[in-house]
Amino acid sequence: MFPVREDEPKYAFLTDKESREKNIHGKFIELVEKNSPLYGKSLNINGDSAVGDNPNRYKQHGFHFTADNCIACHACEAACSEKNDNPAHLAFRSVGYVEGGTYPAYQRMNISMACNHCDDPVCLTGCPTRAYTKFAEYGAVLQDPDICFGCGYCTWVCPYNAPQLDPVKGQVSKCNMCVDRLEVGLKPACVSACLGGALEFGVIENTPLNRDQAKLDIPGFPSTDITHPNIRFQQTRSMPREMTRPDSMPLKYHRDDQQEKYIPVVDEKKGKPQRQWNLRKLLGSHENAHIAFTLCAQTVIGAFMLLIFAPWLGLSAVVTARSDAFLPLFATLFVILAIGMFKLNMHLGKPLRFYRGFNNWRLSPVSREIAGISLFFGGMVGYGFFASLIHYNLLVLPVIHWLAVASVIAAIIGGLVGFYYMYKLYRIPARPYWNHWQTGSSFVGTALVLGSVLILLVSGIASGLSALQALLPSLAWLIFSGLLLEGIGLLAHARDLKRQGGEGAASHFEQTTKFGYAYVLRNTLLGVNLLLVFLLTLESIALSPMALVIGSITLISLLTTTVIGRALFYVLVIPTTMPGAFFWKNKAFEEHARETGLANMPQVGVVPDGH
Amino acid sequence: MLFGRGKKNPIKIADKKVEKWIYTTCGYCSTGCSIEVGVTDAGKPVASRGVGSAEVNRGKLCIKGIFEHDIFEASGRGEEPLIREKVREDYQTVGWDTALDKAGSEIQRIQEKYGRDSFAIVSTGQLLTEEFYTLGKLSRAVIGTNNYDGNTTLCMASAASGYKRSFGSDGPPGCYDDFDNTDCLIAFGSNLPEQHPVIYWRMREAREKRNFPLIVVDPRVTMFAQFADMHLPITPGTDVVLLNSLMYVILDEGLEDREYIEKHTNGIEAVEKVVADFDPVSASKVCGIDEDTIRTVARLYAKSGAAMSIWTMGINQSTHGSDGVVGINNLNLVTGNIGKPGGTSLSITGQCNAMGTREWSSCSGLPGYRYLENPKEREEIANYWGIDPEFLPKKRGLTETDIFPAIETGQIKGLWLIATNPMTSMANTPRIRKTLERLECLIVQDSYRDVETTEYAHIYFPAATWAEKEGVFTNTERRVNMVRQVTEPHANTKSDLWIFNEMSKRFTQGEKVKFPEKPAQVFDEMRELSKGRLLDISGMDHDKLEQQRGIQWPHPEGSGRDTGDQRLYTDGKFCYADSKAKLIPLPFIDNNEVPDDEYPLWLNTGRLVEHFHTRTKTGKVGNCNKYSPTAFMEMNPDAAAEMGVEHMQYVRVVSRRGDAIVMAQLTQRVPHNMVFIPFHFHDCVNRLTKGLLDPHSRQPAFKQSAVRIESVDQEEAARMNVELRQY
Repeated sequence: MFPVREDEPKYAFLTDKESREKNIHGKFIELVEKNSPLYGKSLNINGDSAVGDNPNRYKQHGFHFTADNCIACHACEAACSEKNDNPAHLAFRSVGYVEGGTYPAYQRMNISMACNHCDDPVCLTGCPTRAYTKFAEYGAVLQDPDICFGCGYCTWVCPYNAPQLDPVKGQVSKCNMCVDRLEVGLKPACVSACLGGALEFGVIENTPLNRDQAKLDIPGFPSTDITHPNIRFQQTRSMPREMTRPDSMPLKYHRDDQQEKYIPVVDEKKGKPQRQWNLRKLLGSHENAHIAFTLCAQTVIGAFMLLIFAPWLGLSAVVTARSDAFLPLFATLFVILAIGMFKLNMHLGKPLRFYRGFNNWRLSPVSREIAGISLFFGGMVGYGFFASLIHYNLLVLPVIHWLAVASVIAAIIGGLVGFYYMYKLYRIPARPYWNHWQTGSSFVGTALVLGSVLILLVSGIASGLSALQALLPSLAWLIFSGLLLEGIGLLAHARDLKRQGGEGAASHFEQTTKFGYAYVLRNTLLGVNLLLVFLLTLESIALSPMALVIGSITLISLLTTTVIGRALFYVLVIPTTMPGAFFWKNKAFEEHARETGLANMPQVGVVPDGH
Repeated sequence: MLFGRGKKNPIKIADKKVEKWIYTTCGYCSTGCSIEVGVTDAGKPVASRGVGSAEVNRGKLCIKGIFEHDIFEASGRGEEPLIREKVREDYQTVGWDTALDKAGSEIQRIQEKYGRDSFAIVSTGQLLTEEFYTLGKLSRAVIGTNNYDGNTTLCMASAASGYKRSFGSDGPPGCYDDFDNTDCLIAFGSNLPEQHPVIYWRMREAREKRNFPLIVVDPRVTMFAQFADMHLPITPGTDVVLLNSLMYVILDEGLEDREYIEKHTNGIEAVEKVVADFDPVSASKVCGIDEDTIRTVARLYAKSGAAMSIWTMGINQSTHGSDGVVGINNLNLVTGNIGKPGGTSLSITGQCNAMGTREWSSCSGLPGYRYLENPKEREEIANYWGIDPEFLPKKRGLTETDIFPAIETGQIKGLWLIATNPMTSMANTPRIRKTLERLECLIVQDSYRDVETTEYAHIYFPAATWAEKEGVFTNTERRVNMVRQVTEPHANTKSDLWIFNEMSKRFTQGEKVKFPEKPAQVFDEMRELSKGRLLDISGMDHDKLEQQRGIQWPHPEGSGRDTGDQRLYTDGKFCYADSKAKLIPLPFIDNNEVPDDEYPLWLNTGRLVEHFHTRTKTGKVGNCNKYSPTAFMEMNPDAAAEMGVEHMQYVRVVSRRGDAIVMAQLTQRVPHNMVFIPFHFHDCVNRLTKGLLDPHSRQPAFKQSAVRIESVDQEEAARMNVELRQY
């Protein structure tokens, strides 16, 4: 048990005498009954089998933050990092701020935030490895770094930036609610350290001593609808109509008098928005593995489905092409998907733990995606192998035939499931830029476009130019429809982002400014592609010698469009996180520190590139 | 709904394997927090926590204290003594004897050639009191230079000077408990939540219980200003005007405590005459606070049952710093707010042991608040030390801020710097560089090899730091507290006490004087010398200090109590011969550098909570440094728009002294005509500051200079910024 000192100050002890039956969302605060098998179990903290005697052990606990009082002295952050032995670049709790008004009627409001141990922990449901557990004890959501394989998906889904991906160790860790202290009746380290009278802790919905509010949010705090976070606030001082962030996020908070709350709106920060390239940032992001994987997987699934379903789709040219270049086609699919999966796996903090990716198939879209794609991969390899035996008359036995059929069914199911969850996993409420049907239309569009292109290319190389030309008219139509789908999706996406405001609108602002040239280039190329591909649908052109020239140009243009588009998809997402400070948790400063070499000093708290 | 895994893995929470917690006192600011450092069974310090039963901090620590165990093994620590003949040469690693011999012979050579005072010593507020006392003995009784001072001239000299002028002696009369008793608090130029977060916590706890009015006088909208009931955004350098005007209203409206004035003070008539010129209408035009606010504050303060004032560098670091302190003392004397619970004039001190150096280092006089100018006190000390009283100077020599100009003009040829970093901390650092180049011998004694002054040193003594040693600190409220040794000195570093003792052996005069080896023995000498004086510590010893978690002085032997006196002057008896305090008139002369067409912006400087002084410690503790890893400047967004400066852009700030590269942080926290740059960073804001000296305390005015902003090539500036940040 955590040692309680003889001279432990009174303020460090939990004081909840009574508590409510249900929380504000109607959920029971008492998490398990006495007769539950979860009752009376040890938390086994560092192998200690004792059971804590905290009388409120099975009640949902949470932080209470009095924004009126926080002075941004960093004592909570320091106490947390001291207790959890965190290096400078990692913090389970961070203080950011918003500010507004004009001198001297200026106000700054600091926000100290860690994990909110939510009622509906999206980290837990998202994590593919089942590293997360929501405990009956205190309602703590704890994460086990020893299980985690460092994919970082929990850091995507959490609206509060609670889970911390450590690029050095390649794993996630997060606030553990100081359950060791709670077991002996002590408040968490951060709360006990607070010098401003801002941070409190107790059974959720209880208003701390000398406080009179326990409200759901404050300006700068993301929507509480997503996860029902266990944090309550007091904020009674009137504040300026507009509160800005000191970090680089193009967001500010504007008071909505009707809703009586502050809503995030786009902050154009530096005055007149200007279009920029920022190509290095666009193409050098650490999400490149995802670009590679999604493009590879979508291409291969698209091509595979086309090859399999060609007879039913009336694509006779494809049926012929498949027959003529069976092995080259399936071998290429195998190689491309293998590359994609390898890239994805190697981006994990702990690639050797890849097998844990299926663990949370009941809840996590990531697990289901991995399971689906793996099944698809296996099925495709099996089909490629067995069908080749038959196709090339090497071993024609009924059992081989049945194995081929079983493989193809597995591949179809796996492919569809994998594809669907590949889309589904990006529908993250905390990431409005992705949380739109356009993500799906783009993925399907890519599958149609690149899947068709792949068949064209492989057939062309394997069976000659005439084979390619034979395929062109029908596949060009497919490519055309894929591009059209992509285009319609993008138009709707841009329109909806602007309409919805908040982080989505901020993403749109970035895509028209910081990455404005890339955005315009992609959109223009998309139009050009539609035109070129339309030309290729015309037999007069498809069968003429011009086809090779137009086709080559189209190919380059298509690939450029797709890569830029997918890079934009990752680089533009703005999560609904807390405001940062000027240096700490300011993305622009982190980038600056990496670029200039400041980050090479570990005490700057920014991990340099190259891990 | 969700409880995750059926079979739960055991929970792992970081276990630092602390075997033992060792009591000590924090070595950063002078709040004086009791801290326990956790050590492993191998003796490695791995954790820190506030001592729950300590009266000062009651279990709390600020960010710096929470990571204080990290400073022992921080990068850049000195390991071996170093010497070199010329500054252009490389250092040679030598043994302690060689280094000390060389230092001793260099000091004697310079003194023989140019006179005793041609060798100067500048110390600090960082050492233990026993070490200060020993250094004082070494400087005054053995080396015998009168150019001996501490860097406290940069922070607390005005407070000490103001206290001496008003009350006849240094020594803050109040304590933290006054927050629990006051009915009104004015904070002058003090950003408590950032500079002294734990004192702020005490103040806030008290205010939550009894919601007394809080008035903050500060040109910036600090968090403290924002949380105040009234914020007075004063024009820099005009505090005396505001104070005089408050006095005007009090005297004009008959709100003063006549009885107290008559019984316990001298000089009211002269004060009345001068403040008559400071009616709120005229004053408001100078200090920028409107007349109604001045009247409201004056009435509120005078009518409160008990009212207290605290201040920090906003007052001390100006050309009228000492006058500002006297003005605050005047305010409290005329309202009868000295020495009573909740009524005081409390200077919030800077360094962990700024008080210890003021009390015992002999910098500005002789140990135990004795004056060189007083023949009786000279003799008393000379006899106690066993030297000829004539060996002691009859008048205080140069202060730190006058020692550097004296090097410039060639009167001083050798300098010993102890735990201070003038290359970053002094105003107008370009001038300091030039000055240091002129020295025939510079000895740098510091815990850090990478302290910037080693660039110009001939001899480097690697010193042990903080709780690698044992002794006492005195805090803001005169509480003497115990620093226990937590760990062995790093590498071949030695305690400052050992270095001073060894140095005394290099002088023939040193043979006459006793230099006890153990801190407790040194403490005994101080105890002896304190008997019957204001700062009587004769009832204390090291063990008792630890038991009591610090004791306030006076705490005489045989008091029958375990605690000292919370307050001074409770009986209205002050340290002047007639036991009366002095009310001193304060005419205002504005000699500051004020913004003009060429340099249109005020330059204000100050502290950040995560850093201490020149970052030699906190710059290496990642969990402190990361919150401000590089220099920046707060600037008003409207002014920035006019000048084309963008948020997070580098700019070049130029003053009449030099320039600095900083990253602009646009915020309405500062007015349109002001920028604010933290003082912690090397080769930064003090390249710009003017640092005019206060006539009484010789403290520089760091906070009143004028600058202009120029644009710079961003890549060039970024490269430069990285070059300047070695830690």
